[in-house]
Amino acid sequence: MSEKITINFTVNGEKEQREAVVGHTLLRFIRNELHLTGVKEGCGIGECGACVVLLDGKPVNSCLVLAVELDGRELVTIEGLSKNGELDRVQQAFIDHAAFQCGYCTPGMILSARALLDRKPNPTDADIDEALSGNLCRCGAYQEIRGAIKASSGK
Amino acid sequence: MLSYDYIKCTDLRNVFQELEEGQQVYPLAGGTDLIVGMRGGKFAPKTLLDIKDIPEFNVLEENDQGITIGAAVTLNEATTFAPIRDNVPVLAEGCHSVGSYAIRNRATVAGNICNASPAADTAAPLYCLDAVVNIVGSDGTRSVPIREFFTGPGKNALNKGELVQSILIPRPYPEGKGVYFKASRTGSVDLATVGVAVQRWGAQVRIAIGAVAATPVRALSVEKAVNEKGQKDWTEAARLVHDDISPITDLRGSREYRYHMVEVLVRRGLEQTMGV
Ligand code: FES
Ligand code: FES
Repeated sequence: MSEKITINFTVNGEKEQREAVVGHTLLRFIRNELHLTGVKEGCGIGECGACVVLLDGKPVNSCLVLAVELDGRELVTIEGLSKNGELDRVQQAFIDHAAFQCGYCTPGMILSARALLDRKPNPTDADIDEALSGNLCRCGAYQEIRGAIKASSGK
Repeated sequence: MLSYDYIKCTDLRNVFQELEEGQQVYPLAGGTDLIVGMRGGKFAPKTLLDIKDIPEFNVLEENDQGITIGAAVTLNEATTFAPIRDNVPVLAEGCHSVGSYAIRNRATVAGNICNASPAADTAAPLYCLDAVVNIVGSDGTRSVPIREFFTGPGKNALNKGELVQSILIPRPYPEGKGVYFKASRTGSVDLATVGVAVQRWGAQVRIAIGAVAATPVRALSVEKAVNEKGQKDWTEAARLVHDDISPITDLRGSREYRYHMVEVLVRRGLEQTMGV
């Protein structure tokens, strides 16, 4: 069934109205309809965190959300973090600390980290581990990722 | 692509007609189990009924009766709700043990029990707290104790057309410490191989265990020894747990391993809550 429903939402600060296919996930909608391809599909079943986006400010696995559930909500993807051509502090810290190798996990990692710093500007190591518990990095950049997040703390 | 109809309900009165008349109507709240199950072919809904914005299901409050957790309340919301943290931290621990942080932003407490997995992390704490499940249907509401809500693996006490409206953690709250221990393969973000909740109530203890039988169970033999016979040797007391459980072997652990781990975790729980 390719039934479509009209949805209204905000993406990276812009109000949008689109048709969403009822059978599609939010992940697919963001990549194929909004053409924001920073978000990645890894597992498709909520285990890896490559698909993390911020929904109403909270990190969620977009592979486990339906596109139609976006109606009335606010979405932030990795493309929405930089402002006026300037990287978000966390993005810059990931570059400075070489907190990635292939980069596949990075958008999800950065968004989880951004949400953590928004609710807790000075996180402990345990807070960081908890906030990133659903974000896997198969290149194993975990130490650098934690370092990058610590370096962006308190600001 | 998945194939189904999607209906969003924001008024509780409109839910029941859909539920009763439709075929294969599945309520959608957090969706974290549902969508995985649909992809894997475990669930084949014809209609998804999005209930998460129904006001009655979003209640999270404390009053004279206790703490009410609405059906759409997420695990992260429950974990950080001050009355839960302060009065029944064992439940906060159970909620916190489910999945990852991002999963807990969607997954609900009610969803965790409605799936009726014997390994549900919130179940053992809820059994210790004698939680009450408030069920709503077109004929009105009814309440069942959590112990009667789980009826078998993946089976719960809901009849067709009914939904969980909320979960009540009744007063009086426990006096004393409670702990939830989970043994899993990876240390985090995994289903429980076994889950053990131990809650002190003054001089008494309550113990509940997940993933060792068709439903979560209370360790009544251990409780009896400690509460009625005055057993103070926790090693001896913990050994009795073998009478309360009937674990199976599956991909998360063997039967023998589960027997062993439960005994260890019950002893550790008794030590930490009842004193060494
Ligand atoms: S693709 Fe969503 S968690 Fe892996
Ligand atoms: S940098 Fe490759 S998966 Fe994390």
